[in-house]
Amino acid sequence: MGLGSIFDNMRRKPIRAAKSGTAVDLGASATTLEGGQAGEVSAGLRFYFLYLRKDRAALVGVAMITVFLGWALIEGILQQVTALTGNKFYELMLVPANPNTLDFNHVLVAPTLNNFPAYLFGTNYLGQSILARMMYAAPHDALASLVVVGSAILIGMLLGTTAGYFGGWLDEGLMRLTDAFLSIPGIVLAIAIATLVGGGFTSLLYALMVVWWPTYARFFRGQALSLRDKAYVEASKLSGAGSGRILLKHIFPNSIDPIVAYATLDLGTVILTYSVLAFLGIGLTIGYPEWGAEASVGLSYFPYQWWPTIIPGVIIAAVVVAFTLVGDRLQDLIVGRLTY
Amino acid sequence: MATQQSTIPSVSIQDLTVSYSTVYGRVRALNSVSLDIQRGESISIVGESGCGKSTLGHSIVRLLAPNAKYDSGKIELEGKDVIKMKGHELSRMRGLDAFMIFQDPLNSLNPVKRVDIQLLEALRTRYKMEGKPFVEEEAYKEAEDKLTDVRMPDPEKIMTRYPHQLSGGQIQRVVISMGLLMRPKLLIADEPTSALDVTIQAQVLMLLRELQRTYRMSIIFITHDINVAYAVSDRMIVMYAGEVVESNPSEQLVRNALHPYAQALIKSVPRTTKKEGRLTAIAGSPPNMLHPPAGCRFHPRCPYVMDICKVKSPPPVKMEGGAVVRCFLHGGTDS
Amino acid sequence: MVSNIGFFLARRAINAVITILFLVLIIFILVHIILPSPIALARLYANNPHATPEYIQQVINRYGLAAPIWTQFYNYVVQLLHGNLGTDTITGNPVSTVLINYLPVTLELVIIGQVAGVLVGLYTGGIAASNRNRAPDYGVKAIYLSTWGAPPFLVAVIFQLIFAYWLNLLPSSLVVDPTLPIPAFVTGAPIIDGLIAGNWAYMYSSIQHILLPAATIGIVGFGLVTRLTRASMIDALDKDYVKLAFMKGLSKRKVVWGTAFRNALIPIITLIALIFAFSVGGAVVIEDVFDYHGMGWFTVQAIYNLDYPAIVAFTILVGLSVIAANLAADLLYAAADPRVRLT
Repeated sequence: MGLGSIFDNMRRKPIRAAKSGTAVDLGASATTLEGGQAGEVSAGLRFYFLYLRKDRAALVGVAMITVFLGWALIEGILQQVTALTGNKFYELMLVPANPNTLDFNHVLVAPTLNNFPAYLFGTNYLGQSILARMMYAAPHDALASLVVVGSAILIGMLLGTTAGYFGGWLDEGLMRLTDAFLSIPGIVLAIAIATLVGGGFTSLLYALMVVWWPTYARFFRGQALSLRDKAYVEASKLSGAGSGRILLKHIFPNSIDPIVAYATLDLGTVILTYSVLAFLGIGLTIGYPEWGAEASVGLSYFPYQWWPTIIPGVIIAAVVVAFTLVGDRLQDLIVGRLTY
Repeated sequence: MATQQSTIPSVSIQDLTVSYSTVYGRVRALNSVSLDIQRGESISIVGESGCGKSTLGHSIVRLLAPNAKYDSGKIELEGKDVIKMKGHELSRMRGLDAFMIFQDPLNSLNPVKRVDIQLLEALRTRYKMEGKPFVEEEAYKEAEDKLTDVRMPDPEKIMTRYPHQLSGGQIQRVVISMGLLMRPKLLIADEPTSALDVTIQAQVLMLLRELQRTYRMSIIFITHDINVAYAVSDRMIVMYAGEVVESNPSEQLVRNALHPYAQALIKSVPRTTKKEGRLTAIAGSPPNMLHPPAGCRFHPRCPYVMDICKVKSPPPVKMEGGAVVRCFLHGGTDS
Repeated sequence: MVSNIGFFLARRAINAVITILFLVLIIFILVHIILPSPIALARLYANNPHATPEYIQQVINRYGLAAPIWTQFYNYVVQLLHGNLGTDTITGNPVSTVLINYLPVTLELVIIGQVAGVLVGLYTGGIAASNRNRAPDYGVKAIYLSTWGAPPFLVAVIFQLIFAYWLNLLPSSLVVDPTLPIPAFVTGAPIIDGLIAGNWAYMYSSIQHILLPAATIGIVGFGLVTRLTRASMIDALDKDYVKLAFMKGLSKRKVVWGTAFRNALIPIITLIALIFAFSVGGAVVIEDVFDYHGMGWFTVQAIYNLDYPAIVAFTILVGLSVIAANLAADLLYAAADPRVRLT
């Protein structure tokens, strides 16, 4: 499998296994058992799946993530096709009802099995199917989480690794910079930037990217600091390798593994933040029923009609919980707190 | 296993099997281990990393990790069944009957409490269990005296320090004195000197030996270093892949080891003479504990392997001089 | 033995000041990157999309927006030091006067909610870790997963639904019963001012009104704290000194809460500022849902009204309070860990 081989190439990395657990080396056929023994555990996609299999909750999470991302991908592509061809048919193809047509005969219908599946979550104050609107808006959340976390990793890796490796003023500067960034809660800073910039979805993405990178920069810096003293880096230097080559071959690849878990968690966190911003009315596009915005609009009809505001919130929660389930489990593994 | 008729052994382990549940499946860390230790005896458990020696030590005092399970067998400490213990009885056993010291001094003591507080904590518990009233001054003096017993210079100063202000050797001494304060009948030392300097190592080992004689404790010394084992113990237990393969008084083992693995261990110790100068390593690689070899677990690496070794697991065979060995070379083919 | 706690704190304080400077610089730069020309800036301040060019010019002159960037930054910092955070474009009042009314209300809310959330979270995290992979662990995991994943507006709405609408126990919005006379302004925080003035009705009403929003803020932080505590406790329970504590004969309860927990707290203290920041972020939405007139609520109004100076001022204030929380956490950390205090 293509993606797996990327990870397989980064296999031979020591991951500290818990003292009380056991360390198993997949590469060789040896297994060490001693409590107190730091083990060699090979990373790799196969390993992660093996590990996730044991935790039923994490498996549920994986299933939910697959459904969410899969649907978002399909619908996202269809929406792009619509944008290109101008024919709305494509983006509405797989959605149970039209999310934008007004239907004053069916305003604020409670969730019901009638007319399955369109009214499964009921309708809002304009008679629009809430399920359809949720499904229609999914691609933005998925895209936001992937883009923001991806860019944060890239930017953070570049800045953090070079700062950590070269040290000195570069390092100090980066530390102060990230300190300042990190003293403002992500949501607050994103609000400030997004409102200043104005605009819609893309501006919000830029705002989130600006907010998200410092944590990763700090992390990669830490990795670079601990890796630059390793024996194989010394050996590289001795054999005449330049800094660039060392960074590329040794430092970058070895830094990535531990953040896989955190990044998974973060995908959920971005969606959470994004929905809060949408709730506040930031980054909205006309005709695009962002999940958070739906919850905000539904508030006016609360509490007598609870579903327009609660259902979007629950959907957001479900997606975030899915990412958290998986990320949490991976985090336990990587930090060495092997659970069983 | 020589058993005196009149006294019960301090520790009696019978057919103990312990396994860990891991991501990859169940791993049998200990496989039908049997062992007796008499009061006042000093034994060492020797083996390579992963052979289960540390697990054995931890299982005696119920300090195994949450993912470990006592599959079968019995452990009796001072005649009491350890595996069935619960609650107060369990704390009592850990407090009064046994004590354990660990490998890495860095994490051995609670970093946020002073040394005297930690020692007094130990005394307080012991007094409570013995039903004696706790008088702080008296206890303080007793703790300080024990520090002197373990050859700690400037005990008053050490009492007021925090663990991070002490050296590795000092920490080990504090831990040992804490153990002495608890007056255990059994002391388990899990590689206590592996993380120390060679000179300090020798001091601590001598100290332990002396204390063992003075206080008449049984000591289980867990180590991978056969030299250390020889120096401190009367009897050596050799473990491989979760099984006890040989149990022999130290002198006898060193001069004439019975099990091929034990022989290889002895041979692999580097000597200084040029004639015997070549380093001998043990052929093969450590066993896979998820899927251990069938029959005798050592057979893939054994220079004397026979057909029966590949199929059946050798039972323990009693030999002269109090030795016990699990190897078809010495018998057991008829069972 | 000289404890270098003094040096430690001094270093941290200096760091904090430098960080604040960087913070202001970043915000300033961000604003000027996004809006490079004086005209764009003036539109910001003018708050009127149909402003005439003359009006824009007036605004530029009034706020000195045409000056070189260094001068502007210098002026801005000087203004900040004098406590001038700019002028609210809606009311025309200095932002600082507006915020003075709202900041203590929010601080009271966040602190109460956060303390509650943290205390409960510490306890549940400890329970989960010491009963690893057994029923309590799964139960706690389920709770913190759902509370962490639920967006703050969802939690707020559910609380309102249950306690205000269904059970009719607590009020669903506002800071205090608006028909009550207001006590004299001492701290600006309703409960404290009510207490100081002896105005029991006011104090009681404030407490009633703070419970639901505080609980929501607490829930937001509770999930995070539980997860962190559980992780930290698992690490601590693995250590040799815990095994040693067992060997001293101490009961499981004493070992878990007396030894392991005490050590597990230390890394969590360093994350207190992070938790605080997280809670403040949630406060914006929570105050909005509960119509709780604090700084967060005001900011939401500012967002709707495009009141940029207020938004920027809010951002800076939040940053300052997080830095202050960091310093407080550093103090606690030094107190808790002797390895930091002493050579």
